[in-house]
Amino acid sequence: MKKLLSLFVSICLLLACLTACGGNTDTPDDQPADGGQASEEETGTGTEEETETASDEAGQTTLKVGLCCGTSSIDDKSFIQSAWEGLQRAEEELGVEIGYLQSSDDSTTATVEAIGDLVDAGYQMIVMPGFSFQQAAFEAQSLYPDVMFVTIDTAPQDADADTYYIADNTVAIDYDAEQGGFLAGFGSALQLKEGEFGGLFGVETDHTKLFITGFMQGVIYANENYGTDIHLNADNFVWSGTYSDAALGQQIAAQMYENGINLIYAAAGSTSLGAFNEAKSRAENGESVWVVGCDSDQYEDGLLSDGEHSVTMTTTMKQVGNSAYYVIEQYLNGNYPGGEYLVLDVASGALSCPEVNPNFSEETQALVDEMTEKIASGEYVVSKEMVDVTAWN
Amino acid sequence: MVKKGKAAWLRPLLVSILAILFGFVMGAFLLLASQANPLECFLYLFQGGLSTVTRLFNTFANAIPLIFTGLSVTFAYKTGLFNIGATGQMMIAGLASVIVALTLDAPRVILMPAVVLAGLLAGAIWGGIQGLLKSRFNVNEVVSGIMMNWIAHWSVYYIVSDFFQSPSMLTESQTIPDAASLRSPWLYELTGSSSFNWAFVIALASVLFVQFLLKYTVTGYNMKAVGFNAEAAEYGGISVGRNTVLAMAIAGALAGLAGVAYYCGYSSSIRIGVQPSQGFDGIAVALLGNLSPVGVIFAAIFFAILQTGKGFMNAMIHVAPEIADTIIAIIIYFAAISKLVDLYFDRLSAWVKRRRQRAKAGKTPGERGGEVQ
Amino acid sequence: MDVVLEMRGIVKDFPGLRANDHISLQLHRGEILALLGENGAGKTTLMNILMGLYAADEGEILIHGKKADIKNPRDANRLGIGMVHQHFKLVHNFTVTENIVLGQEPGNFCYINLKQAAKRVRELSETYGLEIDPDARIESITVGMQQRTEILKMLYRDAEILIFDEPTAVLMPREIDELMQIMRNLAAQGKSIILITHKLKEIKQVADRCAIIRRGKLVDTVSVQETSSQQMADQMVGRKVSFQLDKEPQDAGACVLRVEDLSVKNNLGAMGLKHFSFQVREGEIVGIAGVDGNGQTELVEAIAGLRPSCGGQIWLGEREITHLSVQERIHAGLSHIPEDRQRRGLVLDFTLEENLVLGTCADPPFSRHGLLCRAEMHRHAEQIIENFDIRSSEGTASTAGSLSGGNQQKAIIGRELEKEHRLLIAVQPTRGLDVGSIEYIHRRLLEERRRGKAILLVSLELDEVLELSDRIIAVNNGCLIGELAQADANESNVGLMMAGVARKEERHG
Repeated sequence: MKKLLSLFVSICLLLACLTACGGNTDTPDDQPADGGQASEEETGTGTEEETETASDEAGQTTLKVGLCCGTSSIDDKSFIQSAWEGLQRAEEELGVEIGYLQSSDDSTTATVEAIGDLVDAGYQMIVMPGFSFQQAAFEAQSLYPDVMFVTIDTAPQDADADTYYIADNTVAIDYDAEQGGFLAGFGSALQLKEGEFGGLFGVETDHTKLFITGFMQGVIYANENYGTDIHLNADNFVWSGTYSDAALGQQIAAQMYENGINLIYAAAGSTSLGAFNEAKSRAENGESVWVVGCDSDQYEDGLLSDGEHSVTMTTTMKQVGNSAYYVIEQYLNGNYPGGEYLVLDVASGALSCPEVNPNFSEETQALVDEMTEKIASGEYVVSKEMVDVTAWN
Repeated sequence: MVKKGKAAWLRPLLVSILAILFGFVMGAFLLLASQANPLECFLYLFQGGLSTVTRLFNTFANAIPLIFTGLSVTFAYKTGLFNIGATGQMMIAGLASVIVALTLDAPRVILMPAVVLAGLLAGAIWGGIQGLLKSRFNVNEVVSGIMMNWIAHWSVYYIVSDFFQSPSMLTESQTIPDAASLRSPWLYELTGSSSFNWAFVIALASVLFVQFLLKYTVTGYNMKAVGFNAEAAEYGGISVGRNTVLAMAIAGALAGLAGVAYYCGYSSSIRIGVQPSQGFDGIAVALLGNLSPVGVIFAAIFFAILQTGKGFMNAMIHVAPEIADTIIAIIIYFAAISKLVDLYFDRLSAWVKRRRQRAKAGKTPGERGGEVQ
Repeated sequence: MDVVLEMRGIVKDFPGLRANDHISLQLHRGEILALLGENGAGKTTLMNILMGLYAADEGEILIHGKKADIKNPRDANRLGIGMVHQHFKLVHNFTVTENIVLGQEPGNFCYINLKQAAKRVRELSETYGLEIDPDARIESITVGMQQRTEILKMLYRDAEILIFDEPTAVLMPREIDELMQIMRNLAAQGKSIILITHKLKEIKQVADRCAIIRRGKLVDTVSVQETSSQQMADQMVGRKVSFQLDKEPQDAGACVLRVEDLSVKNNLGAMGLKHFSFQVREGEIVGIAGVDGNGQTELVEAIAGLRPSCGGQIWLGEREITHLSVQERIHAGLSHIPEDRQRRGLVLDFTLEENLVLGTCADPPFSRHGLLCRAEMHRHAEQIIENFDIRSSEGTASTAGSLSGGNQQKAIIGRELEKEHRLLIAVQPTRGLDVGSIEYIHRRLLEERRRGKAILLVSLELDEVLELSDRIIAVNNGCLIGELAQADANESNVGLMMAGVARKEERHG
């Protein structure tokens, strides 16, 4: 008993030490944000604490960029992964230090806590990709005025407010997603010529609706101008309600293919992976089914076991990573676009189909490239309004 | 006599601490395997949970729902029931309190208590249904609890998305007005912008309430009697059915308060399609707290330290985020089997005692202690 | 005579209790040694040490003069020690032979030579006069035969020392006689037997010597032939025990319990009690005699409110209680010593203090406005502990589960007698208790009678019923067979009635 008692006492002491240490190494979270000053590229790495002190003293140090993932992981093969790849490119090419953090749940409070963790760990710029960061970004930008925030696909907005508010330390990035959807729908329709298309999406948001309407317009454009015969039914464009349930995605996809749909536009994060799995297993059995991916090029995700063919027709590439990279680059050049709302489009190269689409014929690829030009130049305008597809049932 | 009384609380304390220690040791191996320095990791873990005023109070804020659910499980256990339905009770209570917060137009002095009361009652009803199913139809509360969790899950899903959906966030309800929130600007300022809120006071009061109810009231006596030995309770003129329903309702009310604390204190809206983890974590908290109301407070705060510190550790050290979760899971695992630790505790102390005796016997060889060898 | 087993200075401590305090005893070849002691005296602990279930803190064990290190029951078996437990450890759908060879199957790993085993079982059975059919299934044979299977199991494993733990507790009177004969046969063939019991009658019948243990200490080892039952009982209890009940004739008063035409269903949904009518008056003990399972449980539970009745009425004094709740019946003056003290009578996880207010805790003085008066409960508990001599390690704070069976029973009796009541139902009040406790409880019941309480005594021990009751009612198959005054009743006529042999009266209803 005595031995155990002494054990207990020593644990108490240890705990007390830990807390005391914590108090000592504690640094206030007011790190200078440099106000857009370019810093030299430093590749020398010290221990965490040295870095912290260094950043306190000068501010002439490696920029630390953190990615706040919400509850998703950085290998979701979609949105978050795309953002992380952008950060990795910045690490390689611009010499910034990067890191990421998942939060314990997706409540605003937990997200703000996660942001606080990154800030306390010395991160000066925090990237938040996804509509779910709206409220958290709003709270964080005023809580940590000296830290830079980049919201992608959304802008900071208080839940009660009617519109967004972007503070000077924040950059909001959004996309004309309908343009990307249009190109994917157009190309797929041209390639398959006839059949029926459906769609699998995550949570119903205005942003995601843009993908759908763009995709539908692309198909209709092909039907009207290139004589293709693709059927569309609004009921076949389904919200799964989640970005992380591959099993559910597979279930929905199986039902769609069973109902005679040939191609599914899957833009639902990890849920999409279910659709890819379903398409692959059907394709292995000789069925002709296809998937259109979203965000990062998903050709690899659609590869069959032979390693040559893929069920991925094409992908709506939203260059989330490039967008994050762009902001970092701008900051390092002294042009941090703080307080701005950047809307990126096909013209700025943030939205496109992949350069190489092995499932497109040369003819299709040429027509898609041509269309890309037209949209980029403004010759053709894709509408943001939801279209009525009843005529194409 | 005094010595015995002392050992009565010292022993479970040591058992719980040993469980935690084992958890950390196992976690350290895991960290070594992923080429991280365990000591550094643990340092950041505790720094993250305790190092600043904000972090300390965030830890407390994270502990609040866990205190409630831990207390709920503890209370149910003391009355012979296993409350695995805390998750559902939390959700349904959160729903009720959010609805009251969004629909009742009243000043804060009325609105805040109304929100708390709505959650409490909703949780009590949800738990009470489980009790009723058990007493009337002999449905085991574990089975009904798990099912009721899903009923709550989908009730929240449809009711929120049909009537209370946020205009901007489709997976969430509208944000509750500040007047309904358990947070206050005063506490926010005082605790360094943490999410600490008034629910902490309710949590401590609930601990006292449960302690008092079980120890000093006829109702508590009756519920315990039914829990320990229903046939003897029946013999003693105690209604088994009524007390089962009552006990489940009280357990439900406690879990309901966890829902209020979580959705109207920690958070300020209810999200659909997600079940709060605190429901099941409450079981681990209750076990680590040795199924005593006071123990639950400390166990909940400990879990909250890990919860809060985890993010900071991950931000400071590049280990896979799953590692931190795994460490926590291991500790929860050991906490859950602290009863097993309890078992080995006996063997351990017996071994120590034998060693000591042998040493003594060795010193005085002339006086052979007649130990059976 | 050879000494086959010697235990020297055995000490075993449990927290707060020295269960064995330097106990030494010798067992000779072919001898039956009785181990006599009250419940909780330390007999079972001592035998568990011998079987390797506990390690002794001090002392040593010698088998055939050699020091033995017994770490577990397997070691004990290897050394030729076998125990016949109170609760049999048999597989019910196996045959006798299969049960006997279980764990020591003859033959190789893919074939069990049951024939050879059955042959050996039959031989052993004949040698010792066990008369058992090796091929019978356990579920189809009597409890007595099951016990013999256990004995054979030990013999099959060549046990030289056999320990019998309270072997007669589960047996019918005739089976007890047969067991005694078997034990004599075993001893005659050179086996040594330790018989754990607290029944002096059996010791007198069969044992050679008797080791008496009181509160963990060996009081004396006596020769059974030269010592009277009275002397052994006195030594066991530590004071003079009176076997003579001090029962004076007394006139019964007003009717307290009146049962009219009562019918009650049993657990299987059939009628367990049929059109039953009787009365119990003030200052009178009415005994219900019957073989177990003939409607006694249904009768008692219906009166106590634990089982609904499906016909007839129950009156307590002037009040009909047929449909009242348990609580209301308690308030009407019902006290009940239940049949199963651990299942019904006590909440084992509760402290004594809490257990002693079971049934009354909602009433003053133990609670006011729904709040318990802990101080009052404590005072109440201390009083009962003192009045009824309940021994426990931590007084009022001991959990009921930590008490020995006898003390548990005393606690229940204390609680039920202390509370205000007019009628006391006592079911098997002395089951499994030692002579000291039995004597004490009997005196208490008679004192209740003197104080003018009505007492309904239900017991499977015919001696107890005959001795205590003013009137005896015999039940068989849920029917009242007949009623006799104490003076008219004897073992044979009541026994016949219990078997259902009596003039069958037409009952109205």
